[in-house]
Amino acid sequence: MKKTLRRGLASATIVIALCLAGTSARTAGTEASGSEPAGGGTGLVIIGPDATPPLPPSYQDAPMLAPLVESGKLPPVAERLPKTPLVVDLKGKGREIGRYGGDLRSLVSKARDLRLITVNTYTRLVVYDEKLKLRPDILEKVEAQDDRIFTFTLREGHRWSDGEPFTAEDFRFYFEDIANNKELSPAGPEPIFYVDGKLARFEVLDERHVRYSWDKPNPLFLPTLAQPRPVFICAPAHYLKPFHSRYAQPAKLAELAAKAKLRSWAALFNRLNDPYDNANPDMPTLNAWKIVTRAPANRFIFERNPYFHRVDPEGRQLPYIDRLFIDLATASLFAPKANAGEVDLLARGLSMYDAPVLKEGEAEHHYRTFLWPIARGSSYALYPNLTTEDPVWRALNRDQRFRVALSLAIDRRIINNAMMFGLGLEGNNTVMPESPLDDEANRTVNATYNPDLANNLLDGIGLTARNAEGVRLLPDGRELEIVVEVAGDSRDTIDVLQLITEFWRDVGVKLFIKPQEPGVLRNRSYAGRTVMVAGPGLDNAIPTAEMPPYEIAPALGENYAWPLWGEYEETRGKHGEAVDLPDAKRLLDLYHQWLETSDVGAQTRIWKEMLRLNAKNVFSIGTVTRELQPVVVSNRLHNVPEKAIFAFEPTSYFGVYRMEEFFFTE
Amino acid sequence: MALLRYLLRRLVTMVLTLAAISALVFFIIKLPPGDYLTNQIAELAAEGDQSSLAKAQFLRHQFGLDLPVWQQYLVWVGLMPGPNGWSGLLQGNWGWSFEYNQPVNAVVGQALLLTLVVNLAAVIFVHIVAIPIAIYSAVRQYSIGDYLVTFIGYIGLATPSFLLALVLLYYLNRWFGISIGGLMDPAYADQAWSVEKMHSIASHLIVPTVVIGLASTAAMIRRMRANLLDELQKQYVVTARAKGLSEGRLLLKYPFRMSLNPFIADVGNILPHLVSGSVLVSLVLNLPTVGPILLQALRVQDQYLAGFILMFVAILTVVGMLISDLALAALDPRIRFAGRAA
Repeated sequence: MKKTLRRGLASATIVIALCLAGTSARTAGTEASGSEPAGGGTGLVIIGPDATPPLPPSYQDAPMLAPLVESGKLPPVAERLPKTPLVVDLKGKGREIGRYGGDLRSLVSKARDLRLITVNTYTRLVVYDEKLKLRPDILEKVEAQDDRIFTFTLREGHRWSDGEPFTAEDFRFYFEDIANNKELSPAGPEPIFYVDGKLARFEVLDERHVRYSWDKPNPLFLPTLAQPRPVFICAPAHYLKPFHSRYAQPAKLAELAAKAKLRSWAALFNRLNDPYDNANPDMPTLNAWKIVTRAPANRFIFERNPYFHRVDPEGRQLPYIDRLFIDLATASLFAPKANAGEVDLLARGLSMYDAPVLKEGEAEHHYRTFLWPIARGSSYALYPNLTTEDPVWRALNRDQRFRVALSLAIDRRIINNAMMFGLGLEGNNTVMPESPLDDEANRTVNATYNPDLANNLLDGIGLTARNAEGVRLLPDGRELEIVVEVAGDSRDTIDVLQLITEFWRDVGVKLFIKPQEPGVLRNRSYAGRTVMVAGPGLDNAIPTAEMPPYEIAPALGENYAWPLWGEYEETRGKHGEAVDLPDAKRLLDLYHQWLETSDVGAQTRIWKEMLRLNAKNVFSIGTVTRELQPVVVSNRLHNVPEKAIFAFEPTSYFGVYRMEEFFFTE
Repeated sequence: MALLRYLLRRLVTMVLTLAAISALVFFIIKLPPGDYLTNQIAELAAEGDQSSLAKAQFLRHQFGLDLPVWQQYLVWVGLMPGPNGWSGLLQGNWGWSFEYNQPVNAVVGQALLLTLVVNLAAVIFVHIVAIPIAIYSAVRQYSIGDYLVTFIGYIGLATPSFLLALVLLYYLNRWFGISIGGLMDPAYADQAWSVEKMHSIASHLIVPTVVIGLASTAAMIRRMRANLLDELQKQYVVTARAKGLSEGRLLLKYPFRMSLNPFIADVGNILPHLVSGSVLVSLVLNLPTVGPILLQALRVQDQYLAGFILMFVAILTVVGMLISDLALAALDPRIRFAGRAA
């Protein structure tokens, strides 16, 4: 569900202002479109640099690197930067020009979460900017012909963090020697390289130009590269070749693998080729900071990449901040540590429960606590499984009146007050007001509190018999006890379920909360054994019409509302069950239509009808959304927006707010 | 000669016990459905991460997770050749941790040392505090002081350790500026050993030592006191007193030594406790010890890591029991004679 895909590159007419209010960076109206249709009607779209400030006349280096340059260990900054570095328009974004230096302290709860640094420092071939428009980042320019032929232009003189050139060879090496190597990728190249079962054609045009082409459009290609967890389609060939069977002696490779206690060269290669997890300090990178600490450790240090390709308007090579100190700490200590002023920037791992503790320490320990809304369709949603295996429950879950009745029986105001201090937004599991596709009616229809109507609806279905406790009985005589399964680690959702238990009791429906290990829950859902699941709502709650609406169509098996239908769609009918509910069928048809059009008007129409169908049918029961995420920011840390949306998808947490532009004052 | 035969018999039972434990441990770890990689694959799939998915499949075969459980067990122990040949516990290969993507010894090695430091500090703390108090409250039974220390001891026993830990952390940070959690100030984490670093570690040891120690202190005071009271009633004490032995000398020379017996028997429990004790407190206090690693390994079914730690603790228990039996026999002639009579 976490794939953000953005359909088409036709000039984005809809701009989402992610920054909500106040002092946030904003340049409404003056934004020059980065993606301009060229040569009218040929379908060629060029994603080039934005209307950026001119190249600075000279470049400045971080004081931290000065001694290395002086001693000759590092070339001067002008030689390290590409010929055309990316000049960031700080003024245009309403940001300050920073100063060098400082170490940023933050926390993760386990070493595996170091991959979040790759998300937060968001350096990709192409990236979303703060307004969710695609921009080149590592690449200098992207040309897309009818979404079929993609030509990438690299920056001249761009280098990996170890100083080796970054060239077309790194793309070729990935495509030919990694993606298409049977031992390294037993499953073959990533699905993104296939359109209609046909593999991409890859060409190296010259040192700085590569091309991917298909016969049919592949509108998902570029958005996939801009994801928080992207497909990395290039790899540092110079570093990895000595570990690849095509380039190294088999005997030597076997020796290396044995030394690492691994069985084959492929296992060793896959372990070393680590562009995401930050587990291999030797791996060259193009990111702003590079990990230097080898696990296991309790503090992981990331140092500035002296070859990073972004500069500020005055020619200072970014990032401003010298190092990141990422400490391992138990999640329960995040708030006390923030309270004691032991972090400079921290969001993930904190929740509104911690707000009092965080506020209490602000003055004494010199930090601020921003509250960013979290983008979610609904913070807590219920998914009646339309494809559950029990025939009685299946019939009931498929009855629209039943789902509406359950929704009407929930008093969302109480949940809002209990969980979000009344600050949340009550209603269905649908897109948030920040999305251009939002419609107030989709949030409120079938989502008001009306227990009388709910009772009437349930009676109308024929569930009139009750037992001594007042619980309704199923047609086959069993109690109407809905087992709601929930991931055991989501404490909040379980609290909400306890409230809902009370609400539903009033209409004669019994709820049993069954916390599960997340993995077990997923497997049960895939197998169709769940009756109802509670979990978070839409992942991408601020979509534009150009992002694919797969979360609201029966297209994915991981959706708890229709796992078997989703599986059927995903496996093209090999497994699962065909959709047989008219409105769900309509949703799937609309989704297919969306995949085939590149017209924004048609896409918008499709999105809106799908959202309306979802609200009308209550395929998932939403409660409240717009939960606030506390973001602890040191008073010395600047350029962090005070108000912004917090989400993994599509904003990569701090990613689109560009951490390399954050800086410390004394 | 008798002792040698006794030793031999014990060793054989030890091996059998360990074999049984290893089977039990492995099968219990494998009881929940799925394994580390299936869980991982589900998680990755949810994140739309296709390439890691292929990598996970690759690992699955590499580590023989596609074999039946009993075969996996034999491979792990080293009684059967696995995908990597003969390399199990018996061959000195402790296995691979999926969670850390490293050999188990690399994961556990560093943590073991710190675990020993923390728990040893706690054990020493317990003895230093508990023994004098116990002697005092036994000798001055039913005095105000006795009631007072007993009362404090009960509070220590009854307070949830994790709560106490959080309270102490907060106030030590507030009053003395000691950083929250961990075993040293993060600033020293990557530095070489120095006086400041030692000092930082020492100051961070206060909370864990007190918190881990407090509960066992109370228990120890009570047991020691009861033992001493038993001894103090005995006739040899009266005799010694009648012969004019000074009170202090009398106390330490005879009843005190007698009352230590149960603690020597306890060595068998203390040894594994040094490694696996204080899981909850370590978790709350963010200590880089074995406890949190074990917990996480069990949660994500990192089977070889969890299996190794549990086996290690089992070995320590068995060895500890042997040592305490031998030590008891050496220290207390009555036990030796009793054995011979039977």
